[in-house]
Amino acid sequence: MLRKAYLFAAFFALALLSAVPANSQSAKMIEAAKKEGKAVIYGSLESGTFDTIVKAYRKKTGLDVDYWRASATKVMDRALSEYRAGKPLFDIILTNDNPMQIMQKEGIFAKYESPTAKDYPQDAIDPNLGARYRNVIIGVVYNKSVIKPADAPKSLEDLLKPQYRGKLVMPDPTQHTTTTQWVASLWKVMGQEKADKYIRDLAATKPILVESLLPAAKRVTTGETPIAITYVKYAYVYGREGAPLDYVRLGKMMGDGHYLTLSNKAPHASAGKAFIDYFLAQESMKLLAQEGEFVNLKGVYPPLPDADKIQFVEMVDLDKKGFAAKKKEYQAIFLK
Amino acid sequence: MNGKELTLGHTIPASSAFYRVRHFLSTPVNWVFLGVAGILAFLSLYPTTFLIYGSFTDSPLGVPGQFTFQNYVRAYSDPSAYPLVLNSFIFGIGSAGLSVVLASALAWITIRTNAPYRRLFELTAIVPNILPPILISISWVMLLNPNNGLINVTLVKLFGLEKGPFNIYSIPGLIFVEGLILTPLAFLIISAALKGMDPSLEESAKTLGSSEFGVARRITFPLMRPAILAAATLNFVRAIESFDTPAIIALPARIEVFTTKIWREALGSFPTNHNLAAAYGIGILLIALLFVYLYRRFTSQVESFSTVTGKAFKPHQIDLGPWKYLASTSALILLIMMVLLPIMVLMLISFLPYYHVPTWETWQNVTVKHFKTVFENERVYKAFGNSLFLALGGATVCMLLAALTSYLTVRTKIAGRGFLEGLVFIPWAFPGTALALGLLWAYVNFPIPIYATIWIIMIAYVTRFIPYGLRAVSSTIIQIHKELEEASVVCGAGFFATFRRVLIPLMRPGVIAGWIILVTIFMREFSASIFLYSPGSEPLGPLIYFFYLDGWYGPMAALGLIISIICIILIAIAQRFSRWESK
Repeated sequence: MLRKAYLFAAFFALALLSAVPANSQSAKMIEAAKKEGKAVIYGSLESGTFDTIVKAYRKKTGLDVDYWRASATKVMDRALSEYRAGKPLFDIILTNDNPMQIMQKEGIFAKYESPTAKDYPQDAIDPNLGARYRNVIIGVVYNKSVIKPADAPKSLEDLLKPQYRGKLVMPDPTQHTTTTQWVASLWKVMGQEKADKYIRDLAATKPILVESLLPAAKRVTTGETPIAITYVKYAYVYGREGAPLDYVRLGKMMGDGHYLTLSNKAPHASAGKAFIDYFLAQESMKLLAQEGEFVNLKGVYPPLPDADKIQFVEMVDLDKKGFAAKKKEYQAIFLK
Repeated sequence: MNGKELTLGHTIPASSAFYRVRHFLSTPVNWVFLGVAGILAFLSLYPTTFLIYGSFTDSPLGVPGQFTFQNYVRAYSDPSAYPLVLNSFIFGIGSAGLSVVLASALAWITIRTNAPYRRLFELTAIVPNILPPILISISWVMLLNPNNGLINVTLVKLFGLEKGPFNIYSIPGLIFVEGLILTPLAFLIISAALKGMDPSLEESAKTLGSSEFGVARRITFPLMRPAILAAATLNFVRAIESFDTPAIIALPARIEVFTTKIWREALGSFPTNHNLAAAYGIGILLIALLFVYLYRRFTSQVESFSTVTGKAFKPHQIDLGPWKYLASTSALILLIMMVLLPIMVLMLISFLPYYHVPTWETWQNVTVKHFKTVFENERVYKAFGNSLFLALGGATVCMLLAALTSYLTVRTKIAGRGFLEGLVFIPWAFPGTALALGLLWAYVNFPIPIYATIWIIMIAYVTRFIPYGLRAVSSTIIQIHKELEEASVVCGAGFFATFRRVLIPLMRPGVIAGWIILVTIFMREFSASIFLYSPGSEPLGPLIYFFYLDGWYGPMAALGLIISIICIILIAIAQRFSRWESK
């Protein structure tokens, strides 16, 4: 019994010793951050979701941030333009994997190993960008009041059936980059030959094409177009507002990762690091999950039915040339 | 003193260049000309040069590159580019034509007839100009989409139809919505000119036995031609450079116009291709310049439009007799389409937890949570402060520059005055997004720290929207007879005294109309602001867009309604101060 107590005391002392430097590092960081002022973040995470995190961050640390929200393309465009001109105003970039990789190649990021990133699975850590804190998952969402669950499609292939013709909305794959990636990655869930045919058959059903994933989901909530290829999280996000939405249990669903990374010319480097530390921590990830996000912490799921059963398949990365080629290819298929 | 010397700004020919320069500089109006020309040249040519440069280089924004024609080859060798030019023309001409017809009818009914409730129609005709176009487009999609548009659903239920008779996703749908969006702008320009018109010509025609219709056709319409053409020119260019309505209606309908092509190929592509966007922008610029040239040809005989003289008058009012009720009904139908229906849809969106076709159960779910969200959001307050500063400050600077520019181009014979108008129209002819990119490019390395402050947005607003103020002032100044200025000069007043005491009061309807247009545009400006704002300087336009982008349709509609109410109050105050009514 006494031996057990000693062992426990030794373990506790060790834990305390390892925790002290982290805490003091965090305290020092927060002090430095307070002197620097607000961290400036350019990102594509929805403002409402981001605000939830920022409120908790303010309450916990007394620090604040300025957030400039735009699409992933615009975030990258602005960040690179400022960086090339030698006047980067941002401390952190927060957006999708593909634009982050392009910006990384342009050399705009600093390598910062946040102590809170250690909680993430090893395969979710990018050596240059840090922890992939969430995945955005694309699936099929439908309006239950227009299409009864029994009559809803059960698979991607079902979307080709005549009864769904004119009822499907999706982002324009010749313009919306995440959808370009999604179409280009279909081979990962159905094989190359089948995927090639599927893309042509899908285009032949003349789906309504909109500018991005959210307007697609919005059309389903209003019932204007009852089925959408969009983020499955919207079934929860708009469902909690009362919209009669559900999603098709496809099993395997494709998506993309999201990162937040520090600039190597950050005007408020300590403030930026302090925010990254908080953002990647369990507390804020749980808040994100409550907002419907698929975060990368083990056992943490959004309150979407069967969220834990979704098998995530990461979409292929495309470089600039790859995007251009795919867009040209899809223009001939989808816009003819 | 001969007539030539009396005309302000007219220079006397001389043999030596030195004498000519010295004589030029000895006249105050010429100093004003140089100052205004300098400011306008800097505002318009500096970012434009960067855009032209961008269209001929192969490197991204802000990076020196190699000279190339590749962007033009890529933009214009694509066979699919030519149908979209035709589509853009149909869209531009259709929308501008519809807006001018509706605005002329509304202006004539409200100002020149005795139709009941005409004052109400006049004020509410301005309201749609306050609503962000993106909200109007979304409203009409909710009303006329073929699947569950409210009007279609109602007609199907009422008449037992198989499907709704209207489809918003078509070229007529696109023209209809953009035409309605553009009508208030045309109304403000046409009504300002109509108010300032001397009725003596109309009365003479009537005395000589002409009918009311004959007077309208032979006298009123020709006198109104400059204002009508000004409105049509402005709205044509505004339609072909607009992206809001095409993004909501043309993209899902697979109708390609210039701006959707630019979006697809350049600005919305990944990664953004600014060089290609600039090459497309040059195409729109050339089309716009062609229309500006046509406009100047139409209005070249300025003297023939002079109808405001030193004599006191009251606008000629036509007694429509029993037809006055029909006139009011027509105006009411227009206003239901322009104001009531979009606002009704916005109210539905803002008071429902999520938008859907209303049923009886819907009314149990009515909520004010979206308004609460707006009022509790500190970002909204910050954005409102920024927009108010930009709207009031920007509109005032713009109108001052516009009034001076208009005077110099219309009333003086200074060589190079046409250059001034050209300067003003160049940046305006570019899509707002392309101009914003030019500004970013231009100011990112500027020695004075303007980049990433609210001032770069102010510069963008003033640069891009001077033509709006200019058209409003010019259509009024054209009608002011020179005898008033000449009388002032004969009495010993200099340029500044004449400008301040004679011209400004006579130009007031145009100036106030222009100022109101600008305030309402600046309160919700989007396409330039979205590229230029930084954290801390975010105006309302981008905020509304981000609510849209984030799917916050409820708060978006609520904020749109709140902005509209504030703008209506501002307009009412401005009208009261201007004593516009008394004219």
